[in-house]
Amino acid sequence: MNTQFGSKANPIAFDHESPEHADNWVAEFRDMREKCPVGWTEHHGGFWVATSYAAVVDMARDTGSFSSHKSFDPQTGTGSGGITIPFTPIPRGLPVESDPPEWNALRGFINRRFAPKAVEAFRDDARLYATALLNRVIETGEMDLVNDFTGPVPAMVTMKMMGLPLSEWREFADPLHAMVFTPKEAPEYASVVAGVEWIFRRCAEEFVRYKDQPEEDNLLSFFAHQQVDGRKLSLDEVLSLANNIIIGGVDTTTALTTHALAYLADHPEAKARLMADPSLIPFAREEFLRFFTPIHCLARNVTQDTAINGQDLEQGDRVMLAWAAANRDPEIFEKPDEVQFDRSSNRHLAFGSGIHRCIGSSFARMMFEEMIAQMFARIPEWEVDRAASQRYRSVGTINGWESMPIHFAPGSRVACSLEI
Amino acid sequence: MKVGVDRRRCVGQGMCVLYAPQAFVLSDEDGCAEPRFEDVPTDQEDAVRRAFDACPEQAIVVIG
Repeated sequence: MNTQFGSKANPIAFDHESPEHADNWVAEFRDMREKCPVGWTEHHGGFWVATSYAAVVDMARDTGSFSSHKSFDPQTGTGSGGITIPFTPIPRGLPVESDPPEWNALRGFINRRFAPKAVEAFRDDARLYATALLNRVIETGEMDLVNDFTGPVPAMVTMKMMGLPLSEWREFADPLHAMVFTPKEAPEYASVVAGVEWIFRRCAEEFVRYKDQPEEDNLLSFFAHQQVDGRKLSLDEVLSLANNIIIGGVDTTTALTTHALAYLADHPEAKARLMADPSLIPFAREEFLRFFTPIHCLARNVTQDTAINGQDLEQGDRVMLAWAAANRDPEIFEKPDEVQFDRSSNRHLAFGSGIHRCIGSSFARMMFEEMIAQMFARIPEWEVDRAASQRYRSVGTINGWESMPIHFAPGSRVACSLEI
Repeated sequence: MKVGVDRRRCVGQGMCVLYAPQAFVLSDEDGCAEPRFEDVPTDQEDAVRRAFDACPEQAIVVIG
């Protein structure tokens, strides 16, 4: 029997959802990576957690041994697999919670809509929303960065992409954000869940409506009219695709941009450098992706007995790939705990690795650029009210911020075709 | 120096076009990378090496 440190007989104490981990994740991951880069914890029913870059990449690429498939029975609310620990009792996201060959058809079906060329077509929209959102608050000299800016921009771009009416942006943005940080035992949790359910009900309504109309240039209309493998998509499949696109795309870009704007407020020399030379912004963006890694970790299911780093993974075990830990691995990144915009290369895993690479990565990169550009142009100086800012109580799913009040010198509204 | 992209490994991370925008292009279909040339011009060699180092999938092949 394997009794080495981190084996099932000699487990580590690790809970990615704990407040202790949220406060201390960098040191905790460093310790785990050094002592047992693959280790077993008893929390949440037991799972392996991989913290070295090499182990994370090996597992992410080996979709034969490490499955993303999720099964869920809506009648009983039970199921297994998928990419979250603990198991989330909702229908699976697609294509992210599927394996080849099912994955090939679905991912191939939507890839073109997320390729860099398709994303560029939304750049003017992102700029318009960012402009309109700053117009709402710029004269007051204060805003909540998350709720007034970095949250709504990705939400509105996603609504436009999906083909949902923009007038519902507040009803769309707020529950998607609150869902990430509201504890299940909190009294307001039920209303947050109801808000998220409303969003998917709206997706269903619009999908059905688009079926009766000529195809338009948005995803729900595309889903209503196009075929996968010679057949139309079912409503369940459409909702699973919407789940992946909406949940994956909204609060993650919010977290990245919020972290970056807070960092730049605290590091005026870094901000001055980016403002003086905007060609550095994409490199800074990749470094923020590495350093903050909005999607902290995601899970897989072990499909066959496998030995990794001296540990015995058994068929049916759950395993967590800690992207945030891999992105601080000193084997790959020199001085991993420093933000360096000019790394000679930056092979971070913030968008995952292997076939499930974040399908929205080009959207995230574009929206980040537009939000940063809008801030630099109109609110060049801002101060973060750290005492009033609230980081997510758990960073185990998304490492982000509930709220972040900022203060700045009041500015002027600019001409904008969108009034919100 | 010669460069290629291993299509079995590339998943469209996009780091190569950041480090070597003149050497790679991402597909409009699936976001995966394609080299713009096979023989690397001398003034592109450094950029191609950085792209090689920055690819999380190790999908870039460099010879020479």
